[in-house]
Amino acid sequence: MKASSEIRSSKGFGDYFSINCVFVFVAATLFLSMFVAMTLPSVESGIVGLMAIVGTKLVNFFISLESLPVLIILVSLIGGPIEAFIGRKSEGLRDFAVVDNNFITFIMILAMYPKVASGSIAYRIEGLFGYGLSFNVDMLSFIMAITAGILWFLVSIYAHDYMEIEAHRNRFYLWKTVTFGGVLGTVMAGDMLTMFLFFELMTFSSYMLVAHNQSNESILAGDSYIYMGVVGGLCILLGIVLVAAYTNTLEFVPLAAELAELGWVKYLITILFATGFGIKAGMLPLHIWLPKAHPVAPTPASALLSGILIKIGAYGILRVATTLFVPALEDISGYADPLWEVSQKLGALIIWMGIITMVVGVFMALQQSNMKKMLAYHSISQMGYIIMGIGVASYLGYRGSMGFSGSIYHMINHAFFKALLFMAVGLVYLRTHELDMYKLGGLWRKMPFTAFVTIIAILGITGMPGFNGFASKSILHHAIIEAYEYGHYSFKYAEILFTIVSAGTVCSFIKLFGYVFLGDCPEKYRDIEGEKPMMDMAMGGLALLIIFIGQSPNYILDRFIIPATRNLTYDPAFIDKYIVDMNFFNNHDVVSMVWVYILGIVIFIIGKKYDLFHLHLPTWLSCENTIYRPLYKGVRGLSESITKEYEEKIIKSDTIIYTVFLTGILVFFMRFI
Amino acid sequence: MDSMQFPLYILLLLVMAAVIVPILMKEFDRKSKVMILGTLAIAWGMSLYILVGVLQSGAYLYDIGNWGAKIGIQFNIDEFSAFMSFFIVSLTILIVIYSIKDIEHEIYRKQIAGYYSLVFLLLMGMLGITFTNDLFNTYVFMEILAITSCAIISIKRKKENYMAAFRYLILNTLGSLSFLFGLALLYMVTGYLNMGEVYNTISDVWQLYPRNILLALGLMLTGLGIKAAIFPLHIWLPDAHSSAPTPSSALLSSLVVKVYIFTLIKVLYRVLGEEVITGLGVSTYLGYLAAIGMIMGSVFAIGQKDIKRMLAYSSVAQIGYIILGVSLTSTQGLSAALFHVTSHGLMKTALFLSAGSIIYYKGKRDIRELNGIGYEMPITMAVFTIAALGMIGIPGTNGFMSKWYLSFAVLEAGQPFYLVVILISSFLNAMYYLPIIINAFFKQGIDNKEKEVSNSSESMFVTEEILDNKQEMNVEGLPKLMLIPMSIIASLSIILGFFPQLVMNIIELAVNTFL
Repeated sequence: MKASSEIRSSKGFGDYFSINCVFVFVAATLFLSMFVAMTLPSVESGIVGLMAIVGTKLVNFFISLESLPVLIILVSLIGGPIEAFIGRKSEGLRDFAVVDNNFITFIMILAMYPKVASGSIAYRIEGLFGYGLSFNVDMLSFIMAITAGILWFLVSIYAHDYMEIEAHRNRFYLWKTVTFGGVLGTVMAGDMLTMFLFFELMTFSSYMLVAHNQSNESILAGDSYIYMGVVGGLCILLGIVLVAAYTNTLEFVPLAAELAELGWVKYLITILFATGFGIKAGMLPLHIWLPKAHPVAPTPASALLSGILIKIGAYGILRVATTLFVPALEDISGYADPLWEVSQKLGALIIWMGIITMVVGVFMALQQSNMKKMLAYHSISQMGYIIMGIGVASYLGYRGSMGFSGSIYHMINHAFFKALLFMAVGLVYLRTHELDMYKLGGLWRKMPFTAFVTIIAILGITGMPGFNGFASKSILHHAIIEAYEYGHYSFKYAEILFTIVSAGTVCSFIKLFGYVFLGDCPEKYRDIEGEKPMMDMAMGGLALLIIFIGQSPNYILDRFIIPATRNLTYDPAFIDKYIVDMNFFNNHDVVSMVWVYILGIVIFIIGKKYDLFHLHLPTWLSCENTIYRPLYKGVRGLSESITKEYEEKIIKSDTIIYTVFLTGILVFFMRFI
Repeated sequence: MDSMQFPLYILLLLVMAAVIVPILMKEFDRKSKVMILGTLAIAWGMSLYILVGVLQSGAYLYDIGNWGAKIGIQFNIDEFSAFMSFFIVSLTILIVIYSIKDIEHEIYRKQIAGYYSLVFLLLMGMLGITFTNDLFNTYVFMEILAITSCAIISIKRKKENYMAAFRYLILNTLGSLSFLFGLALLYMVTGYLNMGEVYNTISDVWQLYPRNILLALGLMLTGLGIKAAIFPLHIWLPDAHSSAPTPSSALLSSLVVKVYIFTLIKVLYRVLGEEVITGLGVSTYLGYLAAIGMIMGSVFAIGQKDIKRMLAYSSVAQIGYIILGVSLTSTQGLSAALFHVTSHGLMKTALFLSAGSIIYYKGKRDIRELNGIGYEMPITMAVFTIAALGMIGIPGTNGFMSKWYLSFAVLEAGQPFYLVVILISSFLNAMYYLPIIINAFFKQGIDNKEKEVSNSSESMFVTEEILDNKQEMNVEGLPKLMLIPMSIIASLSIILGFFPQLVMNIIELAVNTFL
């Protein structure tokens, strides 16, 4: 490490990097607040009004560019190689370029807002891939893109210091930026083929991040990631081909009427899409790559993987579930239209998949001692919430807007707090080189700021009123309650499980914070260094966002999520009645959160007393050992034994095969005489 | 119009070159290299001229020596043969450029002249089969092709080459003779050897001599099945393709096999016609064979340890894709098949050439020994990666577009079952290509490990800096003449992955000549 910091300082960009970061960070904050000012309904006078005017002027410049979505993607795709090229000359300058590149992308994403708000940005590039690429940025895409933009920008600032402990930094930054391009392309895609192309780009470029370390462990994790990624990609491709061949369209348009005539094929399509995107989303039992890949990736990559990449899987399910299997607005008669049938069946399946994912994720998280692994399992569990929300959205069909908005909201929130948690854990790891939480303790003295932002993130993820997780969890809670009120009674149990999982989350994070930041500091870590200013700044940015969303939960909901909902086939009256100007801080929701916290603390006390956190489940329970590994080994072993057994035999029996083949054909032709 | 004669001129040029090159070539020096490449460049120019001419002024039938179609030999110069001959010549040039450095490494010096003579004859055979519209003429070119292929395998003078070449010779002779027997039977009942004339008369004689025609069909299919390495008849392929010198493997795997597939397509669609083959159920069973081949080729490939042998089995699987497209008897299916002919040609050439470079530079053939090779030979492994990703069907490569077209064709034909086969086969492809890429780029080889141990007292970054510097000094130990053709082929795969219409537009015209 010493050598590398010497290399850095000798090039003389170390200090400039910090200055640049601070400058860009302030600029980003300024732009973001201008943006918020712009989106507010009435422009007030004074500073807010001034900001709104300046913001609008700036944005007008970008609006004149028709191809903005493509430009945004290109900035990343071209920027990546340029960064790697600069990195060969000077590492400091490269980090400079990385941050600025992401900053520019972020600003450009913000600039798309006015057009998105008034409709959507559509752009086509003819000729590529035989069909042309088409981009279509609507509110849903915009939400995902802006979340990704914020996260990438902050992670780039964070990564500068963290990556000192990793080798091959040029490669890391190259693929990190290319992955950004893939993510943006996936969310801004206007048809299924474009989406699939960028989805695959994302899978392969993020593989480079997962396996970055090149240790045996990360290569193994990378292997399961890439194999599952390839299978997922193939499933999606098949789904797309089926849809395109039977309905003759690649666009995301409501297709329920066409699909209803397809018989069993429509269920095959459903399963293919759910599997393909479910793998990326970490849906059970397709999650096995996730707890392996997230801990071994360098922390900035883990933050991005957990923050955005797995959301892309959920986004894919959401996109598909809310367009392909949904009838067009003008086609339907109401709630009980038979066209909702596929959507309903798909929804019921997804809800239960989500619930199982949620429960298993949190249960496994409680058993972990490796902090990153624990966070990874929490990602699975939180993805369960999101998947459940998507399930409710398609299960309730016309009335599904609550589930829809809940899951999007939770995607945003989870991106912020989970990235923050990973970053905090990464800083702890950078200083202590220890990931086992039981071996740490008392670090709040050394890293007070980290401890502080960790608390904020924990309050966010556990759903404390006033922090961002509360808003989305309340909506999701409403959604699951609606599912059993309007639908099947069995979702009552789902609601109970929902509460238990929330309590488990509380317990798990009490554990994390208690063991890492509180208690006695082990002798070893008495004189470790403390904070890193640039990393703190990045974490602070996320913490601010968590608090901002938590304090005014209606802002995101009213400005972004509800417009996104209105683009789709949902009952407008229902949205107006239940979601617009929702009162989050009502008695019922707050009290139910109190119960969750009490339950969580009780679990923690019981668990600690009876030492339940060190349980090791029998290996046959892990679906990796029961399904995937035997499958992989089986295919490989079978191929090898077939080769060993028959290859020689087939080759040696050359003329016999010829004779048999010829005789076979002639005998076959005898029928026609 | 003089350019009408060009197909014949190309063939004559190649024959003359095949005779003259060994005579003039005393040493394998600069002059003879220029001569070899110059000949090919002229052939390439003429084939390009033919292609442009056909696209502009339409297809024509060319009677050699004006003997007339019934007695003489006829060439059918249409979009299909013009494009495919252009493709064959272009790819051959790239392989020959590569071979100029590589071949010194693989065979005895005094045989180099003979090798190029054989390559010219091989190219002539391939172009002849593509151009010709005459069944017996096809047979003649098939024999030329079989003998020259056998010779460019055995030229390496090793025991396994002799074994492989002998097996190749025996089986290909069986195939040629079956084909000859079949065409004799057809001639017996129709009285013609010209494909167009046979097609016109076959429906009349069908009622009179069904036995003859069925027997002829069975023999011809079996013969072409052997030559095109359709799955249970692929027996000769793995040995032959893996033991041959690298340029020969590339030629055999990516072009020679395809030429027999062209003949198969011609026999099915131009001689017998679509109604006959669907009526007889040939297409259905061809589809089943293709599906079995797609799976079993990959299964055998997974079990291989030798990289070239693995690539050879992968060819068996990929031929399955092409045959599947052919068996669908639809415009879309045939376009997908022909598109895959070009994509597989490019990808397999890139794979064989990069595997050959590894053997050339490191002398390693075993897949398990390729750890960390990506650092030593970045460009070679980049080419390998692009082509391998294409084989799996990753977007951005031409392999993806092939699969995309084929999937649509399969659904169009109403056989979603094959979609599952394509899915499984793609995954199996991933199972044997991905480990090689991952090990090459992420695992450290034995040599690298030793280096690291010696430097382990310092930090990791310093070693990286050293490695980087080394790479900058000398990117790769390979001669440029080997790197450039590989890079061109890899970039062509990517270009076709992004702009498939460049080829697809012509192929759609070509397919119209069959259906």
